Amino acid sequence: MLRFFVSLIVGLIIGAGIGIYLGWWQFPVEYVDSPASALAEIHKDDYTLMIANGYLANGDRIGAEERLRVLGIDDVPGHVQTVTERFINNSRAVADIRALVAFAAAFDRLTPLMAPYQLVSAPELGP
Amino acid sequence: MSGYNAADVPPSRARIARKYLRRRAPISWVGAILGLMLGISGGLFYTWSVNPVVEFDTAPAQLNPADKTHYIVAITLSYANDGDVIRAVDRLVNLQLEGDPIQAVADTACDLATSGYADTERGLNALYSMMRFYGPQGRSGCADELIGVPPAAPTIPALAQNPTPTLTPPASKTPTLTPVLRPTASPVQVIIPTVPPQNTFALIDANTFCDVARSGLIEVYVYELNGSVGVPGQAIRARGGGGESVFFTGLKPERGPAYADFQMTAGQSYIIDMPGQSQPIDQPLQAVPCTTPDGQQTTISYRVRFRASG
Repeated sequence: MLRFFVSLIVGLIIGAGIGIYLGWWQFPVEYVDSPASALAEIHKDDYTLMIANGYLANGDRIGAEERLRVLGIDDVPGHVQTVTERFINNSRAVADIRALVAFAAAFDRLTPLMAPYQLVSAPELGP
Repeated sequence: MSGYNAADVPPSRARIARKYLRRRAPISWVGAILGLMLGISGGLFYTWSVNPVVEFDTAPAQLNPADKTHYIVAITLSYANDGDVIRAVDRLVNLQLEGDPIQAVADTACDLATSGYADTERGLNALYSMMRFYGPQGRSGCADELIGVPPAAPTIPALAQNPTPTLTPPASKTPTLTPVLRPTASPVQVIIPTVPPQNTFALIDANTFCDVARSGLIEVYVYELNGSVGVPGQAIRARGGGGESVFFTGLKPERGPAYADFQMTAGQSYIIDMPGQSQPIDQPLQAVPCTTPDGQQTTISYRVRFRASG
């Protein structure tokens, strides 16, 4: 009987280890039906960029602000400023940065870092 | 007395004897397998239910249906500005929608159109942006019937867009009035303008620069059509900071006939135009702080150029 219980306990320990390995590493819980607030930062940034482009298309700042609140953000202007500066610091595409800078300007969140991206380019004049 | 002779033992007794005589295994396989099964079950229960992996790096495909809808709307709104269909489709693919991702947009628009989403102008505009996305791709949905054909996309002037020169339409011919000679009355000439007033000057560009020596300055240059000859004596208006100021080109000969400048107040925003001769610039020029290349703090300055438009 002692042999049985010892074997059972050893089996339990080994089995629990295997179970934890499987449950945490090999087959971890895959979340579905997650809220947008749980999005990875990179996807939150992309969503913010999309909303910035949407703002440039329709000029609806209040609507853009409402759409950003889906991300669970309380300070939307601060978030826009942070994302814009992150895009600048990470040398993202200039068109994307400009869209975000224009969006930040709508929230009066222009910073010196953003100033160069407010440029208006125009074709060179002829002689 | 005779010794033990196996041959004398019946076969059934011999089997029992062998069972007790053979060497016992060090572990109980039944116990070990039972323990293993219980352990794995317990481990999985703990890791899946009690203490699952903390959710992070959630991808768009893992969003709940409502937030997927928000994401789809955002994709089409973005498409409305950048017109990049490949980027929009890439984003839709990341959502791992069932079936054709573009048709999924049409289906989502259909769902929204049948809900109260379209009751607000904001929602309606979002639906229009979705329809402008999937329509040209040959997809359709019930939103097409419920909402109708989307109007042309609104044009919002953006600072980052290249200004397009507006060509002055040719003046239409004014019919020549045949004077009617009457001996008792002088002919009355009524002048009816046949061409609406045109802007004489158009904005070329508005650039920023950061210079301590010229802190918070709006420099304006006004050129002839050829873009190189300055035009002195042109009035420039700066509206903002609770008032407006008019200043003129050519008053600082050392800077050339095209030049005029205006000193901004820090923190204020200004709209620049040439009164009666040009449209105001699209976005206000804001006197925000900036840092010079050598690290000095000052107020940003702008360089605005106008050119005769013909």
